[in-house]
Amino acid sequence: MQCRSDAKVTALVGPSGSGKTSLIESIAGLRSASGRIVIDSISLAELPPERRRIGYVPQDVVLFPHLSVRDNIFYGGRDRGRFDSLCHTLELVPLLDRSPTTLSGGERQRVAIARALMTDPRLLLLDEPLASVDQPLRERILMYLRRVRDLDVPMIYVTHQQFEAVALSSWCIVLRDGRVAAEGRPREILFADPSSGALENVFEVSNPRHEPEKGITRVVTSDGLELVLPHDRVADVGFPMIVRISAEEIVLFGERPGAISSRNLIEGTVTAIRETDGIVDLVVAAPSPIRVRITRSAADELELANGSRVWLAMRSRAFRIVG
Amino acid sequence: MSVVGLTLRVAVISTLIVAPLATIVAALSWRARSRTIIDAIASLPLVLPPTAVGFLLLQVLSRNILFTAAAVVIACAVMSFPLMFVAARAAIDSSDVRYFDVARTLGASPLRAFSTVTLPLAWRGLLAGVILAFCRSIGEFGATIIVAGNIPGRTQTLALAIYDRINMGHDSEALLLVMFVVIAALTAIVASELLIRHQRRRASR
Repeated sequence: MQCRSDAKVTALVGPSGSGKTSLIESIAGLRSASGRIVIDSISLAELPPERRRIGYVPQDVVLFPHLSVRDNIFYGGRDRGRFDSLCHTLELVPLLDRSPTTLSGGERQRVAIARALMTDPRLLLLDEPLASVDQPLRERILMYLRRVRDLDVPMIYVTHQQFEAVALSSWCIVLRDGRVAAEGRPREILFADPSSGALENVFEVSNPRHEPEKGITRVVTSDGLELVLPHDRVADVGFPMIVRISAEEIVLFGERPGAISSRNLIEGTVTAIRETDGIVDLVVAAPSPIRVRITRSAADELELANGSRVWLAMRSRAFRIVG
Repeated sequence: MSVVGLTLRVAVISTLIVAPLATIVAALSWRARSRTIIDAIASLPLVLPPTAVGFLLLQVLSRNILFTAAAVVIACAVMSFPLMFVAARAAIDSSDVRYFDVARTLGASPLRAFSTVTLPLAWRGLLAGVILAFCRSIGEFGATIIVAGNIPGRTQTLALAIYDRINMGHDSEALLLVMFVVIAALTAIVASELLIRHQRRRASR
């Protein structure tokens, strides 16, 4: 497996038991592995964990319960300037004197990430950081993770959520049975397969052009789609930002429908169809894959087949703004 | 020197020797990640008759140590070693090895990771071991009487003195000494309990 150096975040996805955790534990040096592990042309396999400079945040976080949050963070290194800037970035200052046993799941994650970054790591390994966090908090932590990404420490991010992979990473590696099953840009890898169960389309958008008089803001996704979002919802948000739309919220047309300014209209080609229990899941190449879910009768009416030309309509208010 | 003073001094010195030594051996045995011959040898005095240990010590100790207070200390240390060792091994075993692992990814050498993370997290079990070892030293009889004899004022500890008084029919003096032993043991146990509660309160704050 290779991580591209131009990808700040590489997502490692795959079903449980596919070897994700074993792989990153081997990189961290906590598990003996056959084969080679090379970073910046330094061979890590022979080095003990303390000399590898690999930041590792395991899934269960493992903060030291007998040390305060401050001492936990300083365990990774004594650099005062780095400490101050990490506490600022991850908003840890109010927590510093607390005991880790009193923190919430999301707070523990942030402390563990700061502690790992204190070692000035060559690479940061995060093992399913959102797995132990309740749904409402996930998007908030995702925001912190995107700040961490901007610190320019290369990251390997283990997850089984397509949404997280797309929101955070620019390269995605799928593991299955301990082998690399696929790799590529996360949207292409994760949404092109109709059996993957991804019901949410996730976009990273930037370059906002606000048109308050029309009530809209035009943005561009990382794969080049132009989208229209409600101006009042995104006016105060920083860019780039993550938006998501459910596959069920997208309306499908066989011919070009009339244009409405608050509606996104995207032309594409059906590349995969999968039917289960009267529900049809489609992948539409526009040209990057978009997941659409419609009913059986609607699919029959449109006479859909692979290669059919379709128009996707997405109401601007159907997008959820993640931030 | 009074019986009580000698006993306490012997027990304190013996415990001060045994506690770090047994912890280090327990750490080495833990690091090997398997029960080894070290474990068997370290636990041996626990299962042998004390007189057998005394006999073996008699063979290896030099003549000028035998029948001195130093011999008492050595007998107590050998006899209490396995208690501290077993307690330390169990305490270190029960602490999650992931703390140790994560400390190493944060740049800590095995020694630093062990002493700053694993040991502090195991302190409750270690303290239990220290108290057990201390009480064992106070009560040591079989090995002591063989390598140090029962010389009043020189090697006669509480356990030996109680034995003496009973033999001489001085039951009221024996009772006095027994009461002292009970008080000393209770004090040690209560003190450790208080210490643990105090720590818990601090941890939950």
